[in-house]
Amino acid sequence: MIRRAPRSLAEHAPILFPALMLIVFFVIPFSLMIAVSVARRVPGGFYEPDFVFANYERFLTAFFGGVLAFSLELAGLVAVLAVGVAFPFTYRLARLPRAAQVRWLVFLLSILSLSEVIIGFAWSTLLSRTAGITNLFVALGLMAEAQSLTPSFGALLAGMVYQAFPYTVLVLYPALARLDPSLVEAARTLGSSPVRAFFTVVVPALRSTIVATLIMAFVFALGSYLLPQLLGRPQHWTLSVLITDQAIYQSNMPFAAAMAVFLVLVSLALVALALLAGRRKEEA
Amino acid sequence: MSALVLDGLTKRYGSFVAVHGASLRIPHGRFVCLLGPSGCGKTTLLRMIAGLEEPSGGRLSIDDRDITDTPAHKREFGMVFQSLALFPHLTAGENIAYPLRIRGASSAEQRRRAGELLELVRLPGAADRPVSKLSGGQRQRVAIARALALEPKLFLLDEPLSALDAKLREAMQIELKQLQRRLGVTTIVVTHDQREAMTMADMVVVMSQGRIHQAAPPMEVYRRPADAFVADFIGLTNLLDGAVAAPGVVAVPGGTLALPDLPPQGRVLLSIRPEDVLLRPTGEAGPNRLHGTLSFVRDLGASVEFRVDVAGTEIIALARPQDRPAVEPGGAVTVELPASACVVLPPGGERPS
Amino acid sequence: MRISGGVGRRAVLAGAGALAAAVGFPGIVRAQSKSLKVGVYGGYFKDSFDKHVFPEFTKATGIAVESVAEPTGEAWLVQLEQAARARQAPADVSMMSQVAILKGMAADLWAPFDLAKLPNAAKVKPHLINKYPDGRVAGVGAVSWYITLVTNTKAYPQAPASWAALWDPANKDKLGLLALVSNSFLLEVTAATFFGGTKHLDTEQGQLDCFKKLAELKSNVKLWYRDEAQFEAALKSGEIPMGQYYHDVTGLAAADGHPVRSTFPKEGGITDSGSWAVTKASKAGDLAHVFVDYMCQPSIQALLSRKVGTAPTIDRAATDLTDKEFASVSSDLAPIIPRYDLYQSKSDWLNQKWTEMIVG
Repeated sequence: MIRRAPRSLAEHAPILFPALMLIVFFVIPFSLMIAVSVARRVPGGFYEPDFVFANYERFLTAFFGGVLAFSLELAGLVAVLAVGVAFPFTYRLARLPRAAQVRWLVFLLSILSLSEVIIGFAWSTLLSRTAGITNLFVALGLMAEAQSLTPSFGALLAGMVYQAFPYTVLVLYPALARLDPSLVEAARTLGSSPVRAFFTVVVPALRSTIVATLIMAFVFALGSYLLPQLLGRPQHWTLSVLITDQAIYQSNMPFAAAMAVFLVLVSLALVALALLAGRRKEEA
Repeated sequence: MSALVLDGLTKRYGSFVAVHGASLRIPHGRFVCLLGPSGCGKTTLLRMIAGLEEPSGGRLSIDDRDITDTPAHKREFGMVFQSLALFPHLTAGENIAYPLRIRGASSAEQRRRAGELLELVRLPGAADRPVSKLSGGQRQRVAIARALALEPKLFLLDEPLSALDAKLREAMQIELKQLQRRLGVTTIVVTHDQREAMTMADMVVVMSQGRIHQAAPPMEVYRRPADAFVADFIGLTNLLDGAVAAPGVVAVPGGTLALPDLPPQGRVLLSIRPEDVLLRPTGEAGPNRLHGTLSFVRDLGASVEFRVDVAGTEIIALARPQDRPAVEPGGAVTVELPASACVVLPPGGERPS
Repeated sequence: MRISGGVGRRAVLAGAGALAAAVGFPGIVRAQSKSLKVGVYGGYFKDSFDKHVFPEFTKATGIAVESVAEPTGEAWLVQLEQAARARQAPADVSMMSQVAILKGMAADLWAPFDLAKLPNAAKVKPHLINKYPDGRVAGVGAVSWYITLVTNTKAYPQAPASWAALWDPANKDKLGLLALVSNSFLLEVTAATFFGGTKHLDTEQGQLDCFKKLAELKSNVKLWYRDEAQFEAALKSGEIPMGQYYHDVTGLAAADGHPVRSTFPKEGGITDSGSWAVTKASKAGDLAHVFVDYMCQPSIQALLSRKVGTAPTIDRAATDLTDKEFASVSSDLAPIIPRYDLYQSKSDWLNQKWTEMIVG
């Protein structure tokens, strides 16, 4: 084992590639975005390089604050629901026979291949009055008349949780598959029912995995901009929708960039806060 | 007297039979070792007793109460797992107090009891340490303390010491035995290490291929093995094929032996421990002597091992260094197989590979 | 997707192609002496023009056309501007949205047309000719189409007669409207329906009046759509039985047997259009004039109506379109003409007000 600091270029090589990737795919684009966010908007045209905060000022209003707050709440709720459903699911999955596990994982991977548009259309059909699930309820006599369940907050939530679910399962799967099954057995011999063992041992033992998955699902949901349009009402449009509007439809790149920078910073801050809270608790 | 009773416990996985009709009666306060090579079904049997595996057949009862269908969390047995299964998110003390917490004990009571148990396993003051910061031996002690926290009726251990190095393992074996004696709790340990079993157990249950071959005190298992498998698995032994030639006389390769307890006729298998084989001056006459050639000698420190070729069959003898005869390999040698040391076993049967 | 910008099924596929074309290999086709690069909205429009129009043009004039798929939104305008600074022309002639034409004019991007070289352009309707403030011609109408009031015939046996139906309390939660101020043109509809015409939008007070009136129909709207396909499917199934949509596409759906209809309300349908414009970096100005003039011919306008589904940019009387053919793409009623000038001069303010109105 080499225990001294690497000296030659060759010894640095293993970290050069990830560093390069980070620079090419994160540092440079984000820097460009920051640069654009302080550019001066030319009304009716484009933008010119400058150093103004007008775009940020425009953002700092009650209206955008409300949209930002809604976006964060929605993403948080989606993350909690997705992890809340995916965690017990994955726990069961990891305990199935190998062949069944592979079948489920392939199925979940195939859901990943569905685009946001397809997911949105599928759910809006599923929740529609004319072809949706309420017709089934009517046929079963549970409902008097078919209803439209979309667009609505519930439809949006269902679509976004559905979209985040396979990612969540795939992130949770390795940790749950590695979990020593004797932990739960130990809890059972110590007097815990299987359900109790799940909540007193499995969940807390995997707390850091759960926090990491929540963060992943949260960030993932924060970037969603098609489902809110397809399944939500205007009051459910997220900041990402408004960013898209500004960037694509209004050609207001500086303002779009300013909103995006703000969104990135707020989510980074929230993630840092979550990690900090996790560490604090671990130390306590 | 009441006891743990296994009545024909069987476990099948599809067509594979892991445990084949195990019947056993374990009186209170015994220290039992389930011993056998890997895959012999000993862990499956222990897990059935713990309630972690559902038997495919047979009954299980304790103190005359049938518990075959009682779920694990209602059996109130303590169990130490091979992986120890300490909860990584809890400290040593919290691990030990876990079963008390589940039963709703106050946190003061939990702390008091955890402290007591840590004293018991000689790990005082470790309550607040996270389990990841403990050494292998310390984790072992925490796992034992946790399993004992509720003063269980039955204390089960699945290969509890296999992760420790040889020296620590020996020390823990003795400590575990002392702990068990002090608490008087009925204990069942699964192990594949016969030395461990001999050290700790009041009763050794030798298993192979899902069947119980013998359940008896350690010295009886050693001295009076029930069959060739047990004789060969426990310690080192010489196995000689023989045929009854006349009443009380059996023909073996290289000669005849006069033995009591022989069947009237037919083939038999004789087992004799190397330390019971006596080396005699060449040509000396006497009962139960066989003549052969010394093929190999090695010093083992406390003893010397001789390998003697008697009519194509190898007989191993252990002697004290001072009793070493002045024969070089290749020279003629005479061995005596005392009748009292020979165990007559049924012929054939399974032997450890 | 239409000129006003947005992500629609006709445009999405075109993005990649446009990029390839923009950075592509100009030298290869340029080797031919008489060739012209023409930018057309990617997807449906480019496919139709490649199939029905450009081969005819080459046959008639001997000028080869290299068609370029334009990307969505105003990205093409940005590319043209940046290329022009480097004296490059990714396309000589481009089909541009009205707002993009205005923005290009603000940057002096368009080379003026010489009307003397465009005899056929005299027939183009006046509102489809784009002029610099000093009177130079920056753009000439290329294609136009209508956005009308559409309904599901099962849910509405009677066709509504006026845009005012959008405000009818009986239509609660039944409408699908376009989601953006700059592609729905609902301010203009409001002004034309309740305030006597789009002139009411001249003043900020007039604009606020329209916003206030528009806010009243919010509870009738089930879907504010950006994706045409989503609304079209919902309209056909009756899930969302009323809204605004493209006249020609609705007509095609009805012809396919779907229970939908397009109605020109008495206030008029909304007309939107694309114009031909030439970047000043182009060196093929003469050929571009030949092309634009060719496109303005009555026979070609009739061809476009039949094959592409666009409304003629010239008086219908000059064409040989039958009543039925004409009705499938247009109407004789005076149209509501969008106030593109507002979307150039006050776009941020209007957009902000609009978003607050529908989101708030």
